[in-house]
Amino acid sequence: MQEDNTKKQPAPLHLLPLKSKKGVLNLPTPPLPKGGDPDSPTLKKGGQGGFSDEKTDFSRLAERLEKKIGRIETEFRDSITLLNRDIRDLLHQKNVAFDEKTVQAELNALYGQLEARMQKTVEELSRREAGKREDKDAVRVIKDKTAQLTRLLSLDFYKSVLGRLTSAEHEEEVDPFGMDYRLVEKIKPLFDFLYSKYWRVSVTGIANIPNEGKALIVANHSGTMPYDGAMIKTAILNEHPKRKDARFLVEDFVYHMPILGTFMYRIGGVRACPENAELLLNAGHLVIVFPEGVKGIGKLYRERYKLQRFGRGGFIKLCMKTGAPLVPVGVVGAEEIHPIMMKSNILAKTIGVPYIPITPTFPLLGLLGCVPLPSKWFIHFGEPIRLDSYGPKAMDDELLVHKLSEKVRMNIQEIIFDLLRKRRSVWLG
Amino acid sequence: MAEPKKKSRSEPNPGAIVVTGTSGFKGSRIIKALEADNRYPSIVAIDARKPPPDTRKTRFYKLDLTETLADVKLAEILKNERCDTLVHCAFPITPPKNPSFAHELISIGTLYVITACAEARVRKVILASTTDVYGAFPTNPNFLQEDVHPPKGDRQSAFLADKIDAEKQGLKFAAKYPDRVVTILRACTILGPTIQSYKTNYLRRPFVTTIMGFDPLVQFIHEDDLIRSFMRTIEKDCPGIYNIVGDGVLPLSRVIKICGKMNLRLPQMGFKTMVQLMWMADISPAPASHVNFLRYLCIADGAKAKKDLGFVPQFSTKEALLSFVGAERLREVRLIEA
Repeated sequence: MQEDNTKKQPAPLHLLPLKSKKGVLNLPTPPLPKGGDPDSPTLKKGGQGGFSDEKTDFSRLAERLEKKIGRIETEFRDSITLLNRDIRDLLHQKNVAFDEKTVQAELNALYGQLEARMQKTVEELSRREAGKREDKDAVRVIKDKTAQLTRLLSLDFYKSVLGRLTSAEHEEEVDPFGMDYRLVEKIKPLFDFLYSKYWRVSVTGIANIPNEGKALIVANHSGTMPYDGAMIKTAILNEHPKRKDARFLVEDFVYHMPILGTFMYRIGGVRACPENAELLLNAGHLVIVFPEGVKGIGKLYRERYKLQRFGRGGFIKLCMKTGAPLVPVGVVGAEEIHPIMMKSNILAKTIGVPYIPITPTFPLLGLLGCVPLPSKWFIHFGEPIRLDSYGPKAMDDELLVHKLSEKVRMNIQEIIFDLLRKRRSVWLG
Repeated sequence: MAEPKKKSRSEPNPGAIVVTGTSGFKGSRIIKALEADNRYPSIVAIDARKPPPDTRKTRFYKLDLTETLADVKLAEILKNERCDTLVHCAFPITPPKNPSFAHELISIGTLYVITACAEARVRKVILASTTDVYGAFPTNPNFLQEDVHPPKGDRQSAFLADKIDAEKQGLKFAAKYPDRVVTILRACTILGPTIQSYKTNYLRRPFVTTIMGFDPLVQFIHEDDLIRSFMRTIEKDCPGIYNIVGDGVLPLSRVIKICGKMNLRLPQMGFKTMVQLMWMADISPAPASHVNFLRYLCIADGAKAKKDLGFVPQFSTKEALLSFVGAERLREVRLIEA
């Protein structure tokens, strides 16, 4: 029963004309004074003309029907042009330009009108015809003709406009910083696999991330390819009960390159500059930064776990300005995924990347060399450091900024040493 | 000397609003909006071409800003009309084929207008500009701000250089006369049912060419919102530069998808040369110096306009695009005239 009910609901617009008889629009059937329903056998009673008479000049009847159908057709055409004009006027006057919903409502109304009018005409016609001759064939012909007519007038224009507009409606939008939630959802299984199966990341101190509000997450950078940002993001997504909004800042050079730059934007990366970070923090996001920058991911294997210089302390200024707490993070295990033996800087310059790494596998095995090694990872979120007591004015004090930046660096270095002390094996942890 | 006195007696409100470039899109729409508003009894239209159609209170002067002594003639007109506010939008929306003409009109034309304004003691000058003057660079922050990020334009684009020069002249004028109000409105890409520009031409083609591997974010402003922002600046004194942008951003690929066009992704190598050749052959809508806008980010922050100007766009980026696309489709089936 329920299925029947749903079928009687107004169908999608382009389907309407094809099932005109089924009463798709739930129109109340007008009471028929004389003949009643054209299908019902009562018709035969009310007839005046003999049935056998009409069979002889059935072609004449068909002709008349054709004429009548033609009239209906012109009427319909007129009403459609009228409605077209109405829509056009609406567009011109209100300058609403194109609101899908209004247009859809308008078109639904149009179809309702057309359907009602058609049914009325058909019924009138069939009543008249049946009243005269009670010819079932005639009724069938009318019905066929009307079905044909509705198919003819199925308004492919409206259909196409609506079809295209609805396709536009389904288009996903990105957030102001270019993150595509659909893509993030799509690639999350891959990150989850890397996180739980491949690198078996073990996370400690997740409670140090505040439950709400902004926070700046400062981490050590490593691993040739910036998987560490993705893994910290995944760790927060998977382990923290309340936070899902971690964004990471990405080096400039990525955005010069095709594909990679766009991809970084779509998965939630933002170009590393103070303006972007400030906007994100003020919007209450978690922002992951790697103050070491390219120096961090490009260091040689023998320099592993030695933190490089922390930029110019931009992240400290950011915390002072926005009042965001600073969460130091240490990542251990990422240094071993692509151990860099040597670097080629000359070739890199011509391509526009900072360096080309030479690892035990990379140029040797070709693309296979790009597969990271399955080391065991540890991520520890340290105690949050609050810098808002210094106030925004302390930003100009370069010495203080440098001192604080160094303090944070030592803090992260401590975390890393702690993790390394606990670690017994690179691959098993 | 006798004539202006007579005029001042006949006019209750001496402050006329002068609009330049009234046969262009912005100018004609501003004239239309001013005509409809009863607060502005005196409107003056200045253009080198035909006067604005069906106007009641607008007086039209034919003046070519590229001719010599245009500044003297303009100053005379402004003095005679007792001009209070001047809206300068005699700029080509589309980069013209003739670079020297573009320079004459944009850079020198603005110079003439500014000197005439200085001479005729015009109280308020409003300059129309675009957010394209920031230039598209991979080093751009996601939201460019008026007072933080200087307009860099493009090294190869004379069109954008002229635009920046026009802005600079306006700012110089503002610095020289602190009692005058100079407003510069930087609008992002304008879309809507009636606008025609090189960007709409770009979106109108069956194949929209983009660069492989790049998918920059773009933002649009609806044409009605743009005119609303101009009207807002006319009624309120807001010196400074304002970004006029719609809310939200869209990736270029999605824009093309919504337009229902085919996205033809071409490799980066040789793209610029191809575009330049096509521009010379009159196929490409813009010269090669605009290719960077297909590659890198150029998104402006409209927060200052919201805060100081009180301008809140009524159409978001997506709505502006949908209105353009809808009008295009109605035009396709001839429901509205082209």
